Amino acid sequence: MALSHDVLVVGAGLAGMRAALAAQAAGADVAIVTKVYPVRSHSNAAQGGINAALNPEDSWESHAYDTVKGSDYLGDQDAIEILAREAPGAIVELERMGVVFNRDEHGRLGSRNFGGASHARTYFVGDFTGQAILHVLYEQLVKSGIRTYNEHFCSQLLADGGGAVAGVTAFDMRSGEVLQIGARAVVLCTGGIGRVFEPSTNALICTGDGSALAYRAGAPLMDMEMVQFHPTTLKSNGALISESARGEGGYLLNSEGERFMKKTAPNAMELASRDVVSRAAQIEINEGRGVDGCVLLDVRHLGAAKIMERLPQIRELGLEFAGADMITDPVPVLPGMHYQMGGIRTDVHGATPIAGLYAAGECACVSVHGGNRLGANSLLETVVFGRRAGAAAAEFASGRKAASLPESLRDDEERRLRTLVERPGTERTAALRLEMGTTMTRQVGVFRDEPTLRDAERKLALLRERFAGVSIGDKGRLFNQALVAALELDFMLDLARTVVAGAIARTESRGAHTRVDHPRRNDAEWLRHTLCHHTPDGPVVSTAPVTITQWEPTERKY
Amino acid sequence: MSAEMVLSVFRGEPRDGAEHEYRVPLAPGMVVLDAIRWIQAQLVPDLAVRWNCKAARCGSCAAEIDGRPKLMCKTRLDAYRGRVLHVRPLHTFPLVRDLVTDVSWNYRVAQRIPPPATALPAPLNMQARDVGRSQEFHRCIECWLCQDVCHVLREHGGQGQYVGPRFVAKIAESEMHPLDVGDRIDFLVAESGIGLCNVTRCCQEVCPEAIRITDNAIIPLKERVADRDWDPVRRLTRRWRRRAGRSGPPGRTGG
Ligand SMILES: Cc1cc2nc3c(=O)[nH]c(=O)nc-3n(C[C@H](O)[C@H](O)[C@H](O)COP(=O)(O)OP(=O)(O)OC[C@H]3O[C@@H](n4cnc5c(N)ncnc54)[C@H](O)[C@@H]3O)c2cc1C
Ligand code: SF4
Ligand code: SF4
Ligand code: FES
Repeated sequence: MALSHDVLVVGAGLAGMRAALAAQAAGADVAIVTKVYPVRSHSNAAQGGINAALNPEDSWESHAYDTVKGSDYLGDQDAIEILAREAPGAIVELERMGVVFNRDEHGRLGSRNFGGASHARTYFVGDFTGQAILHVLYEQLVKSGIRTYNEHFCSQLLADGGGAVAGVTAFDMRSGEVLQIGARAVVLCTGGIGRVFEPSTNALICTGDGSALAYRAGAPLMDMEMVQFHPTTLKSNGALISESARGEGGYLLNSEGERFMKKTAPNAMELASRDVVSRAAQIEINEGRGVDGCVLLDVRHLGAAKIMERLPQIRELGLEFAGADMITDPVPVLPGMHYQMGGIRTDVHGATPIAGLYAAGECACVSVHGGNRLGANSLLETVVFGRRAGAAAAEFASGRKAASLPESLRDDEERRLRTLVERPGTERTAALRLEMGTTMTRQVGVFRDEPTLRDAERKLALLRERFAGVSIGDKGRLFNQALVAALELDFMLDLARTVVAGAIARTESRGAHTRVDHPRRNDAEWLRHTLCHHTPDGPVVSTAPVTITQWEPTERKY
Repeated sequence: MSAEMVLSVFRGEPRDGAEHEYRVPLAPGMVVLDAIRWIQAQLVPDLAVRWNCKAARCGSCAAEIDGRPKLMCKTRLDAYRGRVLHVRPLHTFPLVRDLVTDVSWNYRVAQRIPPPATALPAPLNMQARDVGRSQEFHRCIECWLCQDVCHVLREHGGQGQYVGPRFVAKIAESEMHPLDVGDRIDFLVAESGIGLCNVTRCCQEVCPEAIRITDNAIIPLKERVADRDWDPVRRLTRRWRRRAGRSGPPGRTGG
């Protein structure tokens, strides 16, 4: 039976659910394909909060300016203006849907400080903001009657004769059945590429599937070299200690007990933007003022009561995975891969250069984050641009006839997957994945230079060759995770190469991208986005201008 | 150094399965999920198991560990050193394969739960203390551990009669919202099956988010149901509040 919808959303995190609801509100017949149940999506990990200029003393211009500055002037200012202007409405809408944000002493919405922000404009639900919003949006999704293909893995984008996107193939992980789902418009909301690096703060399913699908279909990936390393992750398992620990007043100390941020950001101190703090921490560690390869996060002076009220989950993480009680001991932390600023290039309506293909959320690059994302701007991006992409996709779908795709496409995909499962080989997915991840962390991390990047490029090309020898250890159909893992690795190998290609091309230091062989920001040549295009021989890089509306680039000081 | 542990893991499909033993090298701080993933990566690549966040956030990795429903990513192995550790799928839901069960019944129940109803326009004014009561239930990660342990759902036929502790907590989440104006009493009486719960507290004991499901959701809601039978004034007040909310200034709608 041929399945078909007006708008098909791939992904059911915050961006995906928001896009689906908006497309339905615009009158479209909508469905969602997701590889995990919606509430399992990685958006549930966001602890800190969501930004908006809601206070009378604050303004959207100030929020926008902080974001532009945080992006090291690589963000597109038209998109950033939209983000900041629509933020207050988005928060109010979430509260109306049932998100119970924390309050201030007057019973109004209460906010906290976050890095790189000139006002306290981060709104939050305890320390489980993402999860609270995700579950409330899920409730809306349930109420809406939108069909969700749960635990269905999207494996391919389908195009019509004219090159426009016309649907996807996906397989039902529980039964192994392959489906062909037609659509007049597809919105990719597949989240970040975290697992290209090992370790990472991201969940295990953050493998950038949608980004790779779009890339292979001919959509360029923008600014892929811009990878955010969060300054405070745990050594044992890469888990994140949220910025709220510093937002509430936590210190970062080196082995001499010194608040080393005073050397690089005497005003903002620990609350400078993340790229600045990560670099400073890495320098302490590299120059021998670390403790066991870490620096120390100290919140003891906040007192037990405040820690228990504001940071209970974070304390628990410290207890569980670092064996330290933050009430009595500082916790060792180090910079770790956290977020991808780059992604599928879109306009402010979420449209990619391919007709019928849209993207929103962490997989997309509008670009509001440029060279460095400010904390709590990303949940905001998912709801603001998820809504816009859903509405735009619905409009596009209403003006287009459904393409009639041959049903043999389904059979072709089934055959491709069968061949993959049955092929002989000696390589293992898990081993290749680990090698890719550690190569990326060691050679494409906080500090980069050309020879090391070139070497990483060679290693990745070799891993790509070895992938052809991967044999899949599960030959069955029911819940075949070995097949899923191999497909994810296949996607990630493409994405890793785009990160390296972008990093080699950008011969300057900007935002999260630090080239020790090109230590200065170079606006004359590099106030530009990098674009990675897919070719059979690997990525080819071109550039595109940055949109400036009212803020001319100046030197960044915190 | 090379400490080891033996895990006895259920493998198989609905009518054909048994536990198999695997030897796993131990590392400090290791959790059950690390061991299971090690087994999957090194010994049996076709082991089926759900996981995602590794941080007790996503609710994917529920299993019965030594007979107790727990999150595999939150259960340290050191607590079980020196004996064989049994890992089995949730018992209350139909088996798909190995450690994966079909939990879709829960999502079908979710569709029947009356949604929150705050008729006033946001942003709302409410006190931190009141907000806290509803927030407790927002912590739920839908891991289904409480649904698995509840004897009403575990026993044959119970799933046709009771929505289970998670969904009573969900109703409480809306009921305790300071500005809620919905009336879920009819649903509680006629459809939820809350009367079948005999307050054993097993559900709140297994909740990884430490939500006091029985004390803060089930018991207060049982009281509201009882109230309704003898307290017509309270019932009227709720009705009135609801109507006042509806005729208030128009709120923003989604979109
Ligand atoms: C630990 C942590 C803390 C964070 N804290 C904050 C914070 O405090 N504030 C903030 O603003 N941001 C924060 N972030 C970032 C933010 O959480 C994410 O950027 C955001 O949630 C991404 O949402 P999304 O909807 O784009 O993707 P996700 O929520 O990751 O959803 C991706 C969806 O795509 C689906 N999918 C993927 N591939 C496929 C496929 N092949 N087939 C079918 N479906 C597929 C998945 O099933 C999933 O539903 C944090 C991130 C981390 C890691
Ligand atoms: S207290 Fe009620 S809901 Fe909870 S486990 Fe016992 S019977 Fe089930
Ligand atoms: S109430 Fe607790 S045990 Fe039950 S599903 Fe939610 S988090 Fe899990
Ligand atoms: S893996 Fe997410 S809860 Fe255990």
